[in-house]
Amino acid sequence: MPSQMSALLIGEITHARKEWKDCGSIANLKEYPLGSREDFILKCRNGDFNGVYVIYRSNDSNKITGNFNEELIDELPESLKFICHNGAGYDNINVAACSRRGISVANTPIAVNDATADVALFLILAALRRIAPPFQAVRQGKWRGGPNFQLGHDPRNKVLGILGMGGIGQAVAARAKAFGMKIQYHNRRPLPLREENGAKYVNFEELLKTSDVLSLNLSLNPSTKHIISKPQFDIMKDGVIVINTARGPLIDEAALVEALNVGKVWSAGLDVYEDEPSIHPGLMENENVVLLPHIGTATFETQRDMELLVLENLKEAIQSNRLKTQVPEQKQ
Amino acid sequence: MTKPKVLQLGVIDHAHESWNALSELADLIVPAARSRAEFLEECRSGSLEGVVAVYRTFGSVDITGLFDAELVAALPNSLKFICHNGAGYDQVDVSACTERGIKVSNVPTAVDDATADVNMFLIIGALRGFNTSMIALREGKWRGHPPPPLGHDPEGKTLGILGMGGIGRNLKKKAEAFGMKVVYYNRNKLSDELAGGAQYLSFEELLSTSDVISLNLPLNKNTRHIISTHEFELMKKGVVIVNTARGAVIDEDALVKALDSGHVWSCGLDVYEDEPKVHPGLVANPHVMLVPHMGTWTVETQTAMEEWNIGNVRAALEKGKLNTVVPEQANM
Repeated sequence: MPSQMSALLIGEITHARKEWKDCGSIANLKEYPLGSREDFILKCRNGDFNGVYVIYRSNDSNKITGNFNEELIDELPESLKFICHNGAGYDNINVAACSRRGISVANTPIAVNDATADVALFLILAALRRIAPPFQAVRQGKWRGGPNFQLGHDPRNKVLGILGMGGIGQAVAARAKAFGMKIQYHNRRPLPLREENGAKYVNFEELLKTSDVLSLNLSLNPSTKHIISKPQFDIMKDGVIVINTARGPLIDEAALVEALNVGKVWSAGLDVYEDEPSIHPGLMENENVVLLPHIGTATFETQRDMELLVLENLKEAIQSNRLKTQVPEQKQ
Repeated sequence: MTKPKVLQLGVIDHAHESWNALSELADLIVPAARSRAEFLEECRSGSLEGVVAVYRTFGSVDITGLFDAELVAALPNSLKFICHNGAGYDQVDVSACTERGIKVSNVPTAVDDATADVNMFLIIGALRGFNTSMIALREGKWRGHPPPPLGHDPEGKTLGILGMGGIGRNLKKKAEAFGMKVVYYNRNKLSDELAGGAQYLSFEELLSTSDVISLNLPLNKNTRHIISTHEFELMKKGVVIVNTARGAVIDEDALVKALDSGHVWSCGLDVYEDEPKVHPGLVANPHVMLVPHMGTWTVETQTAMEEWNIGNVRAALEKGKLNTVVPEQANM
């Protein structure tokens, strides 16, 4: 009964407003653009959202409601069957709790692959080429700066180890290959041979021991938190470069700083941090690391593609009672 | 019979063994001069007579000044070969050398990867608009207030390469890995094989149809300010310009005006008209990506360049000819 079904937008839609409005032909549209977790929960309890069948939320809207953890999920209306999340990473949603309530969850894979891989390559090149000190110096009128203008390294023939060979990892591999890097990867399962494109599957330990550049492209969940910590740094090559465009808590940030300080890690390129927007002061003090403030998908084209994908999931949910890109955990 | 002499102008950092091995063929000498005036005097005094080949670096210009007509005229009568360690050899007046029967070599090919890597780094950095974020983060402001504007993905954008030599063709392959479509302009149209599927356009067509324009051509009297006010007017609104060639191919003042008007959305520069000075209008612009002429600044590439240049000196001594001469002297 589409005309009785409601869709609730938490937060904003910036690039696909028209397409959101068009959904008004298949559902009642409600919006919660501003507010707080307390207020949101109160509205749930007051029955303001009764009849909501599908929710559109995003990593950005998390600052309004806080995490979709068990506590909040318990407050959501009985009618709710689908959460369509804007973001490839969905570690702020307790999927198990959703599953227990019979709520299906979708994220936005694929749409993010290219933009995130582009950032990873930017960070790889910047770290290898030691761009950070001269980059700062030229803007301060100091041209190349002082003794910290050091020779960098070419990517050609260096071994790039990709941890997590999903869509983003494969996009990173394809780009890095064009720069002459040798690709090896570790994944929950090896890819089919025809999808490897020359990349070599290795176990986790070998990846750490033999990579010149290590790129994290795996999802964050309770078993991958701090997957890179002191024991892992200890077995890496001396002078390794570490790149992270996935989630900050995959790396023990304090251990990374320690590894940088002793020269074990030569440079790091990071778009994500354990406790965003706070950054470990040891990273800020290090002139050789390349730091971006979590802008992996911050382009007009990708932001619009992501919003459109969430709306596609939303429409599938309303019209066909299923999702286009349901999260892997729920597809088993 | 006395050995010929080879004059070293500038520093050799890596290929010491190869350089020293030349001493079996020639006396390796350095000038006493510490300034251009002293160098001209040293040449004219006859104390450099017997020098058959010069190994010079880009940085040696700080002592001798440009190898212009005045200096070339003063060089010893015995001199037959100038081996320049660099791809760009605009510091050397080749026609003055030709008139004196002096052959000139540069270093092509060895520079291609490293230069194209910086070029690609600047394309991504400028398209994605990373500069504002990187600066804000380092100032402790995370993404900054207001947050930076969204950037653009390279996927599907047209990259116009001006100058499809070794570096341009190397860049094409890397840009295609990011999903860019490459068109080019060159003095001469390339064979289909060399062009690799890139479409050949006239200069004006390239300017008016490209989303990103990359300068990859040598600096000479025909190409100085080849991009100036008129050319900016032909370009698409919102174009991105990247220059890793020589600063003077772009009229830097006209570039700043085009940036300020918004006609040029962003730029990525490794070179400037009057290095080490950077136009204040560029430094003041938070949306541009600036690095201080570090296109080939890696251990691997600097080593390969020195080896190549020393190889040319050796060829001159052993065979009486250089391995390659600059294009202008191809028929000499």
